[in-house]
Amino acid sequence: MESYPIDSLPTSGDIHMACFTAVKNAPDLKEKLQNQDKSLTFAMVESNLIMDVFQLLVAATKAAHDNKTGKLATQTVSSEIIYNLSPSKNIAESLKRFGIKEDTTSLIAVKIGGNPDEIMEEMSRTVSGNLVSFSKLDQERDMTKLRQYYKIDPKVTEDKEILNWIIGAIAMKNVQ
Amino acid sequence: MIYNAQLIKQGAEAKVYLAPFCQRQAIIKERFTKAYRHPTLDKKLTSRRVVQEARCLSRCQRARIDTPTVYMVDTENYLIYMEYIEGCSVREYLVTPEGQTEAAQTKVAQDIGRALGLMHNIDVVHGDLTTSNLLMRNETGGSVVLIDFGLSYVSQLIEDKAVDLYVLERAFSSTHPNTEVMFEQILKAYGESGKASKQILKKLEDVRMRGRKRSMLG
Repeated sequence: MESYPIDSLPTSGDIHMACFTAVKNAPDLKEKLQNQDKSLTFAMVESNLIMDVFQLLVAATKAAHDNKTGKLATQTVSSEIIYNLSPSKNIAESLKRFGIKEDTTSLIAVKIGGNPDEIMEEMSRTVSGNLVSFSKLDQERDMTKLRQYYKIDPKVTEDKEILNWIIGAIAMKNVQ
Repeated sequence: MIYNAQLIKQGAEAKVYLAPFCQRQAIIKERFTKAYRHPTLDKKLTSRRVVQEARCLSRCQRARIDTPTVYMVDTENYLIYMEYIEGCSVREYLVTPEGQTEAAQTKVAQDIGRALGLMHNIDVVHGDLTTSNLLMRNETGGSVVLIDFGLSYVSQLIEDKAVDLYVLERAFSSTHPNTEVMFEQILKAYGESGKASKQILKKLEDVRMRGRKRSMLG
């Protein structure tokens, strides 16, 4: 698990995230989400739509800010993180695309604030899969879907520019 | 409140900070409120301008014009978080020994002209084109980046685009003596990449005769 401070909002605690592969209990987790099970306190993001850790950090930071000002568009901070990743304002579609599915095998668990040790324990207890380093993210990436969801211009081919495009889409969602 | 921020520039409308954001260095532009305006009006105007600036930046990015990527927009506190670009301004570059050479000036002029042509193609008018608002990105070997869209707006009018160029011309002639050739090169590159550039350049002649403001007499 990795933890990053929110520089613009230090009082909210750090962003903690852990990457899991070979996840076996996606249907269970999905069901818990749908039942709004209170024992699930972190967000679960489909790994293949994550280009870079920066993308997650921006989405989570935005969620922390909106939580503080009481402007969440969704029910919880966790769902807000997933919603923020999507350039679309359609909540159901955003959660479906960027959240986990029944057949998800690799996911990233994200939580804002709290004690890192407890969170790590909770995440690995809930998700049955292999905890891996974020350097494995590149192998999970689904470029076709990323391009489709973020409507990336086919002329944009460099990874760096693709990431900038994605970040721009996330940042501009609430101001378009 | 911006934490761990270092103030790097202050203008009449905004303060610009360098601060960490999500593990990167970022530029935070804060528009401040004006005490002489009615608070309600001020709030509305300020947040609208923050949004407008972010939109113009994003519009340019989507047209693949090199501009800072917007990271986050905070309309509550009138902040725009954006990419920090390492490099120097064209203004600084033109006084370095390298920037004095003809070859370097031609290259920069072509870059600027092309970028402006593309920007006007998508109907973004910068509004404050100066050599300080054109940066040269270190990592790409000095390609030109347009910054400070604080006065930008979207307009299809040839007049507005011509005035945009005129403002840059004046900025050039007042800060960099003997750069007429360079500005000619900018206009040439502009003419090659812009859609309605012919008409705009023709309009520029008119604007030169009368100045930035349109005469409202008669």
